[in-house]
Amino acid sequence: MPQFPDAVSNQNMTNWFLGSFDTHIPWWFILVVIKAVAAFAILVVLTLFNIWYERRVVSFMQMRIGPNRVGPQGLLQSLADGVKLALKEDIVPTNADKPVFWIAPLLSAIPAFLAIAVIPWGPAVSIFGHWTTLQLVDLPVGVLYVLAISSIGIYGIVLAGWSSGSTYPLLGALRSSAQMISYEVAMGLSFAGVFLYAGTMSPSGIVNAQQHGWYFYMLPLSAIIYIIAMVGETNRAPFDLPEAEGELVGGFHTEYSSLKFALFFLAEYINLVTVSALAVTMFFGGWRAPVPISLWSGANSGWYPMLWFMIKLLIFVFVFIWLRGTLPRLRYDQFMAFGWKVLIPVSVLWLLVVALFRQLRNAGDLDRAHAVPIGIGIAAVFLLLVVALEVRERNQIRRTPPPTVPDYEPLAGGFPVPPMPGQSAPAVPRRPQFARTAAAPAPALNGTTAEEASTR
Amino acid sequence: MPSILAASTAAASNTAPFTAPHVEWGKLSPMLIVLGAATMGVLVEAFAPRAARYRLQVGLTLLALAAAFAAVIALHDTPTSVAAAGAVAVDKTTLFFQGTILAISFIAVLVIAERRTEGGQDAFAAQGGSVPGSQQEREAVRAGWLTTEVYPLVLFSIGGMLLFPAANDLLTMFVALEVLSLPLYLVCGLARHRRLLSQEAALKYFLLGAFSSAFFLYGAALLYGYAGSVQLSNSDPHNPGIAQAVAAHAHGPALLYTGIALLGMGLLFKVGAAPFHMWTPDVYEGAPTPITGFMSAATKIAAFGALVRVLDVGLAGSVDVWRPVIEIVAILTMVVGGILALTQRNVKRMLAYSAILNAGYIIMALVSTGHDALASLLFFLPTYGIALVGSFAVVTLVRDAGGVEATDLSRWAGLGKSAPIPATLMSIFLLAFAGIPFTSIFVGKFAVFQAALAAGAPQLVIVAVLASAVAAFFYLRVIVVMFFSDPMPDGPTIANPSIAVKTALAVSALVTVAMGVAPAALLHLSNAAAVLAR
Amino acid sequence: MDTYVPILALGLIAAAFAIFSVVIGSLTGPKRYNRAKLDSYECGIEPTPQPVGGGRFPVKYYLTAMLFIVFDIEIVFLYPWAVAFDALGWFGLAEMVLFVLTVLVAYAYVWRRGGLDWD
Repeated sequence: MPQFPDAVSNQNMTNWFLGSFDTHIPWWFILVVIKAVAAFAILVVLTLFNIWYERRVVSFMQMRIGPNRVGPQGLLQSLADGVKLALKEDIVPTNADKPVFWIAPLLSAIPAFLAIAVIPWGPAVSIFGHWTTLQLVDLPVGVLYVLAISSIGIYGIVLAGWSSGSTYPLLGALRSSAQMISYEVAMGLSFAGVFLYAGTMSPSGIVNAQQHGWYFYMLPLSAIIYIIAMVGETNRAPFDLPEAEGELVGGFHTEYSSLKFALFFLAEYINLVTVSALAVTMFFGGWRAPVPISLWSGANSGWYPMLWFMIKLLIFVFVFIWLRGTLPRLRYDQFMAFGWKVLIPVSVLWLLVVALFRQLRNAGDLDRAHAVPIGIGIAAVFLLLVVALEVRERNQIRRTPPPTVPDYEPLAGGFPVPPMPGQSAPAVPRRPQFARTAAAPAPALNGTTAEEASTR
Repeated sequence: MPSILAASTAAASNTAPFTAPHVEWGKLSPMLIVLGAATMGVLVEAFAPRAARYRLQVGLTLLALAAAFAAVIALHDTPTSVAAAGAVAVDKTTLFFQGTILAISFIAVLVIAERRTEGGQDAFAAQGGSVPGSQQEREAVRAGWLTTEVYPLVLFSIGGMLLFPAANDLLTMFVALEVLSLPLYLVCGLARHRRLLSQEAALKYFLLGAFSSAFFLYGAALLYGYAGSVQLSNSDPHNPGIAQAVAAHAHGPALLYTGIALLGMGLLFKVGAAPFHMWTPDVYEGAPTPITGFMSAATKIAAFGALVRVLDVGLAGSVDVWRPVIEIVAILTMVVGGILALTQRNVKRMLAYSAILNAGYIIMALVSTGHDALASLLFFLPTYGIALVGSFAVVTLVRDAGGVEATDLSRWAGLGKSAPIPATLMSIFLLAFAGIPFTSIFVGKFAVFQAALAAGAPQLVIVAVLASAVAAFFYLRVIVVMFFSDPMPDGPTIANPSIAVKTALAVSALVTVAMGVAPAALLHLSNAAAVLAR
Repeated sequence: MDTYVPILALGLIAAAFAIFSVVIGSLTGPKRYNRAKLDSYECGIEPTPQPVGGGRFPVKYYLTAMLFIVFDIEIVFLYPWAVAFDALGWFGLAEMVLFVLTVLVAYAYVWRRGGLDWD
């Protein structure tokens, strides 16, 4: 039991459950209920907000306006969409495995809510005169708990794809699970560095340990790896392969409709919040105020920290949206190769370097004057390694001879066919009168390659 | 308010002082050498060019085994002690087992590495991952690929075998069991010929082996529940092991008895004792023959080592509980092995049942926790193991058209005339199995019988003698078929092995005879080695 | 165990919400039967016949899953080590370097054998 000042014995709690309503309801329990409801409400509202946020930001990036009709600035658009979804037919395909098809969205959504429980939103505050931390529960293994809970969500996805009894969802689910477990490894490895510095796995402990410096600049590579991995983990662009419309229609939830579909959507956006909150907690000081504000002594007490936390969180959500608005989707093999061949070895080696550094510091063999040049040296070696690998890759690409393409046959197999990649159609000699009307580019026509000509 | 924060972090931060355990690298060196070489072998697989791998791997393997053997010799007069924070017992028995396993593995690897009998190809599938009969397989065979992963796998397995009899706590023993078993499951499925049979054998072995591992682990959990420790023995009074708990008659004998039963199942499975012997014939038949020789000999030695340590160190106090069970298992094993071996027409299966039968003899030595019984076991195991490796090496030489081994007994007719040397060698091994005087196993059997009599189990000796009489029949039948019937017109061809296999065969035959004629040296050694760290 | 009461509370709220959504979604929506609508969705073409239980998955996925287990176990060992790192000192560092290198050997083997290549 968290040591709240008003903690009462279990006896009282049991009595309360047995219906002795005249018994005093313990304050810690009321606080727990308040905080649980608040966490739930924050997640739901954040989801509605984030969907709107995403649509608006992407719209502005694409020179559109986005939803602006329902409510002020279109803020209630997502709510309206939710109501609309509830009024749509709930289709259960004939081929579906009915019970599993029903359970899958639940299995996806419920763990998504649970993961947020250990994230500290702020330090202790007073609620109705009772001190409590702005954190639902402070587990000593909190981060492990988040990892564990978020992997349960994968079951929801796999079972959704499998139970649909359809090809696209199955493929989407397989991809999704393969992707999530691949990036979970890198994610887990990037956390190890933080634990090493903080000496604890409790999120609040990690936030406290960042009092004298946030980990994103003390452990830059860990932070970068985590940020990449979290995008992969949430199936967001540019890693949104499970939902590659061009290949898989909607991915694992192709066969879902109505509120079941909405639950998957909800889970995805909650996961977005969870991983962002985790990023803030692990690497960006949690609820601690950023540098200029932190000079003000009151910045890290009271309700203000929740504000800082929220701002940081929304910045992260913005980054997600920014990525989606900017980057094209990766090819699946590139994506897997990046996860397994770059992220994992780099994070393992980085962890060893961090550990070595830390041990040298602990043993007193390393002071600040030496640490900086050594750090720069290690960074340089890493950079060189990356460059060397890249150069090798390019050389390999250059050395592979271009595939030999047979000459273009306009009527291969008896049908008129277009030129394949690498082939080019012969330039069609134009009739004189057309050549004259297209007078301006006429000199260029001779100079253009056959390929360009064929594309006209 | 700050007190709340402090409370939440104080729970998470660990301030207890940590003292690094002392790891006796020297005492663990045989295992470290072998496992290190195995890891090197994986790197060779990853980075060496395909053409160089075979030479590198074989060289690395033999070198590692020789170095580990040298380490065992160097350790031979270390005082009895436990190393690695009580996880590994380094005593004379451990070293004897390790030396035996290493020596036999060395000979077995010579047979495993053989390429001459098949014209540059070894006994293993060209590419383990290719589907039997597929185009991919044909291409791999044509390209002359070799599955050189076999050597690191065998080394890992040997590493597990070295740790298995040395483990002084049940968790280490379990890890050793898995390290020993998992590579074996794999290499069992890699036969070059009759690949489906081989894969079936591997799958059977794997499933049953996984079962038995689960039994072992469950038994270990129950014993932990009983004793509050997984250590077999610990002389520190503040931290008693299982042996101390048994001696002090700790509460919950039901846990102890169930634990012994489950643990015993796991270990007796590895030994191949009835009624846990079902996998033996199928796996021995399906696995590549050099591997069969290796695993039948080395696994059995390691598993008996572990069994000795569990029974004689951890559970010696409750000998009255498990002794009747062990007696029944011994009788059952001898009866099943002896009778079923009679009906076999396939040489490999016949040898498998004979291995079950011999496991029965060895189990006889377990009924007593005394010094003489252990010494007799220590004498029996190496002599038997080396004869097994030798006999399976002979089986690899007898080939039908297409390079498939001719394992059917009828194909061996007249082998004594067409190929006198292999036939003679096989006869020596079979006579040794039969326990004919002036062979090593005769002496071993004699010692075991004597130990069982001294332990007051004459019924076991009677069954064993009867079983030996039955066994003599089917061993002699092979010799009769080889020497007293005419060769078949399209009989099998006898491959001309490389000098390595010839050496292996010569050494095993020589040892088999020499230990029968002049067993004094080995008897002396096994007598001196029968000292356990309790 | 009391530590988990708040999580249980949140879980109950979330479960109530999720179950409510699923149930209400099947009640409020219209139900207009159409055989084609209940077929598997494959962009309008005849659905591919589905083997029972979804058929067999490409072996690549199993390989990925096994590799994941290997690294997940590595992480399981890394976490307590990392938390207790300051207390373990040089001994802890040396042991972990040995362990990680061993895992990396296996990793190098898998990489070289194409176990990490997709397609």
